[in-house]
Amino acid sequence: MAHERNIGDTILSVDQISLSFGGVKALSNISFAVKEHEVFAIIGPNGAGKSSMLNCINGFYHPQEGTITFKGNTRRQVRPSEAARQGIARTFQNIALFNGMSTLDNIMTGRNTKMNKGIFWQALRFGPAEKEEMEHRAVVERVIDFLEIEAIRKTAVGTLPYGLQKRVELGRALAAEPDLLLLDEPMAGMNLEEKQDMCRFILDVNDEFGTTIVLIEHDMGVVMDISDRVVVLDYGKKLAEGTPDEVRTNQDVIDAYLGVSHDDEEA
Amino acid sequence: MLFLLETVISGLMAGVMYALVALGFVLIFKASGIFNFAQGVFALFAGLALYDFIATDGWFYELFGFALPVWLGIIATMGVMIIVAWLVEFLVLRHLVNQEPIILFMSTIGLAYFLEGLGDILFGSDVKPLDIGLPQGASDYLLDNFNLYVEKLEVVAAVVAAVLVVVLAIFFQKTRIGRALRAVADDHQAALSVGISLRTIWVIVWSVSGFVALVAGVMWGSKSGIQFSLSLIALKALPVLILGGFTSVPGAIIGGLIIGVGEKVAEVFAGPYVGGAIENWFAYVLALGFLLIRPQGLFGEKIIERV
Amino acid sequence: MGEAKPADGTVDTFPKLLIDNARRIGARPAIREKDLGIWQAWTWQQVKDEVAAMAAGLKMYGFERGDSLAIVGDNRPQLYWAMTAAQALGGKPVPMYQDAVAEEMQYVLEHAEASFAIVEDQEQTDKLLEVMDRCPKLKEIVYKDPRGMRHYDQPFVRSLDSLMEAGRKFLAENPGWFEAEAAKGKGEDIAIMLYTSGTTGRPKGVMLSFDNVVITARNGVAWDKLDENDEVMAYLPMAWVGDNIFSYGQSYVAGFCVSCPESSDTVMLDLKEIGPTYFFAPPRVFENILTQVSIRMEDASKLNQWLYKKFMDVALRVGPQLLDGKPVSFMDRLMYGLGELLVYGPLKNELGFTRFRLAYTAGEAIGPDIFDFFRSLGVNIKQLYGSTEASVFICMQKNGDIKPDTVGPPATDVELKIADNGEVLFRSPGVFVAYYKNDEATKSTKTDDGWVMTGDAGFFDADGHLKIIDRAKDVGKLNGGTMFAPKYLENKLKFFPYITEAVAFGHERDYAAAFINIDLEAVGNWAERRGLAYSGYTDLSMRDEVYDLVAECVDKVNKDLSEDAALSGSQIKRFLILHKLLDADDGELTRTRKVRRSTVAERYGELINALYSGVDVCPVEATVTFEDGRTGTIKADVKIREAKIFPSQQAQAAE
Repeated sequence: MAHERNIGDTILSVDQISLSFGGVKALSNISFAVKEHEVFAIIGPNGAGKSSMLNCINGFYHPQEGTITFKGNTRRQVRPSEAARQGIARTFQNIALFNGMSTLDNIMTGRNTKMNKGIFWQALRFGPAEKEEMEHRAVVERVIDFLEIEAIRKTAVGTLPYGLQKRVELGRALAAEPDLLLLDEPMAGMNLEEKQDMCRFILDVNDEFGTTIVLIEHDMGVVMDISDRVVVLDYGKKLAEGTPDEVRTNQDVIDAYLGVSHDDEEA
Repeated sequence: MLFLLETVISGLMAGVMYALVALGFVLIFKASGIFNFAQGVFALFAGLALYDFIATDGWFYELFGFALPVWLGIIATMGVMIIVAWLVEFLVLRHLVNQEPIILFMSTIGLAYFLEGLGDILFGSDVKPLDIGLPQGASDYLLDNFNLYVEKLEVVAAVVAAVLVVVLAIFFQKTRIGRALRAVADDHQAALSVGISLRTIWVIVWSVSGFVALVAGVMWGSKSGIQFSLSLIALKALPVLILGGFTSVPGAIIGGLIIGVGEKVAEVFAGPYVGGAIENWFAYVLALGFLLIRPQGLFGEKIIERV
Repeated sequence: MGEAKPADGTVDTFPKLLIDNARRIGARPAIREKDLGIWQAWTWQQVKDEVAAMAAGLKMYGFERGDSLAIVGDNRPQLYWAMTAAQALGGKPVPMYQDAVAEEMQYVLEHAEASFAIVEDQEQTDKLLEVMDRCPKLKEIVYKDPRGMRHYDQPFVRSLDSLMEAGRKFLAENPGWFEAEAAKGKGEDIAIMLYTSGTTGRPKGVMLSFDNVVITARNGVAWDKLDENDEVMAYLPMAWVGDNIFSYGQSYVAGFCVSCPESSDTVMLDLKEIGPTYFFAPPRVFENILTQVSIRMEDASKLNQWLYKKFMDVALRVGPQLLDGKPVSFMDRLMYGLGELLVYGPLKNELGFTRFRLAYTAGEAIGPDIFDFFRSLGVNIKQLYGSTEASVFICMQKNGDIKPDTVGPPATDVELKIADNGEVLFRSPGVFVAYYKNDEATKSTKTDDGWVMTGDAGFFDADGHLKIIDRAKDVGKLNGGTMFAPKYLENKLKFFPYITEAVAFGHERDYAAAFINIDLEAVGNWAERRGLAYSGYTDLSMRDEVYDLVAECVDKVNKDLSEDAALSGSQIKRFLILHKLLDADDGELTRTRKVRRSTVAERYGELINALYSGVDVCPVEATVTFEDGRTGTIKADVKIREAKIFPSQQAQAAE
């Protein structure tokens, strides 16, 4: 996509990250840097360590070695709630929504880190909390409008079709007005039309709000079209990094994908 | 006729008590998916602590030479329950994140016995009459005008339970914390990703259920004194939950009332034919029947598996 | 209401009506829109200010008297204002169907010689940009919603906000300009140009004058006693004459508030929130609502099902009589009252129908079951007969005098006659001025003394109600000489919830036969309940069980036909279920979802042949267009069934 954006300085840098589970190395010595306003993709075959990488960034996993620097704060271990407060929001590969709640309430939870009026006021729905609730509701309504999900505002998300659930999940992440948006296989399990919609939303988010996006994708085609830069992982190691064109012609990448092409059928 | 009415009313009042305990279960179950076996012991523990703060034969009096006024005692007890909640999170739950529900359930059984033992060591095992100034005896008004015998305390208990339910409903549905609680109950990972701190939420939930336990402890204690059999009410709460549904606040109330009335009426009218003591097993048989017909309970969410 | 309004013709255009409303009822709401989850309202005074700013802005960017302004988008307040703004400037607003593809838009833009276009959003802007080089007159595109428009740097694409901002500056320096501009308009000026989708040929631009629309709107308002307290939901395409009368003309005349839904997906939810009192919907919408209700009832608890059935029986028996003010026994009244409390009230509330004073339906025949269903609930649904060329109203039903199978007596000031070939002709104040740049078509439709040929065949019943049977040119004859009215047969078929579309054949044939499209939702549901697995429409349509189901419907239609002497000979002898849904994207239906008979006949020639030969199965291949524009083919073996033919009732009686 050739639209102009002001790609800024590095917002996230991952340095020499290694992660293992009980002796099994999930990631070894991974480094890369993501610039502000960029769409950055992490790709690789199944089991390459993509999700583990994402989980390190938002604090679900704590890498044994290496550091992650986000907006100038360097850390190795961070709690997920702390990462969220710093401005990292995410979606999940297997949709993780609050099924008992409505679309509206789900997206409202995305405002969690921005709410600070005391519980007493909230309980009374009065005074400062009332005003705060209205302000948050306004942000959420903009997200609903943006994602064109007005019709399901009051619907319990558990009853929605898959494609819409994905959209609500994206909405919840957007409601946090994040600086960095992590998308774990946003297009998994979608049909062609839904994929196109999702691509459009991702690009629009990046464009309208200037949000930096790091996304994981298993399917190379879609990602190459929407990403500014790509890093390729395989068996927990970094194979290549660069623009989609550079990566596409990289021999290691071609080998890795050819070698594991059967994974596509399983998925 | 009048006798039946009296039986029903006394059943309703007993039901309110069951409901109070069941409510504590529901809260924790809703917010964390944990079946807290220790809820009954919580009520006992809260009652014991309160007694200790306000009586002249407890630790507190011994240490400081005076007893707290009732209202301050209640606040202090609430403080104790919050500390207990925090300790439970810090010492137990924190280390069991993402474990199977059955493991968490087992841990609450351990917790129950630990607290019971602790209460025994700290406060002794004798029955303690709790008097915090709630009205006692029969309502003269009803007795004089309708010839109806109703304990004042039971009326108070009913009112308190009603208020509690309204407050909890508002708390769950209308506040950010309530929304966060429901979020945590639905999906831990997703809740974490939006910046909800599991630890904070758990401390809050257990504190709230500690508060409910305190109310239950006070009511039962005022009625029949604080004694260790209180922890056994926890078992009565189980059929109540099966009837009402594990996730429903109104379910806990209605379930409690049905069991309360059911067992009293059965005892009085059917008891003589089967040799009595129906009260001891009626609730369980009723629950068993319910499990067969409507396993999610009266108000429970239908379990829908999406394919 | 009417008394405050001068009827002497001084307030004879919409800009003048707007100024008058701002003066009379300036603080009352004029239009509402749900935006970001909240209903925003504009009063008549505010609307006047907005319209003035828009008119001034258009003027500043070069919109001239006599220019055409294309308007494209969903129902939005700003787009309605654009109509008045153009009218104030002596221009012609041309609302266009928002779901049309770029090529379809190109024709209208070019033909109407639109110099300006005000569009809703990026999607519509893109379509216009695509065809702009083929529309030489089009010089400015103004968009309402800035979303996604940041990177459009064409100098002729600008935001409505910036245009109105410029207009406001101009107004600040030239107070009274808008009123002076509006005063230049006269009743006989062209108010609007509406392109009819047309079942054949290119769309025609119907020019309606202010007199046409304003007088017709006034007559309609008086007929149904509408006033500023009424509420209307604007959700049908702005390019359609009905919307122009109901949501624009009558709103300006009566002063009632019009609400625009949040999006096309939320209409039913918004309906519930707004609670309109005056409602229009094509039969298809009422039909869908009834289907939804039936489906939901099938999933309801046993108790609710029982209550619903019990009280709907009562309602169907006495509801319509109660609505028409006819006598009903005390017991039935009591039961109906109870039903209102337990069933009808909650149901109407769920549908957003609670406050309906009256609801109209038109455009197609409505199924008697559907009509009766709503009337029995106490919803005052009525039929009307109208056309673009009449500024809508030709015939309309009167309160208390309702029949499901007629369209009522002529509307106020309308003269009607039936030509020898059965065609309905009318003359009224609403008769259109002419087709734009198409004198030939004007001449062939409108006589010199003002009679307009509707192209519909019909007759008056004993009470003076008009009954429409078909398009005049479609009424044909079987080889045996029996009259064959395809639309009549098709409508009878479509009245069954399982059948969504039907195409009947028979002209110059030995017998009548039909193509049928099943309703995927209704039949799908039926199939699921019987544990019938299917992979999609094509698969479902070929099941024998489904054929049995449809055969029952066809048999019932034949039974009905057998009772009518004139039509008994045109019973459907053979039918088939089409392997794909007829689709507007494939050109088989018009945008208003009417069957394009010639296209269907051409495309499915082999299937028609199969209907008239003895074969039981016919292999076919069909091209389909997917929503993203790609095309693909479907292969299938379409089965053909014989239906039961009933002996003519008259003939039997004679024996």
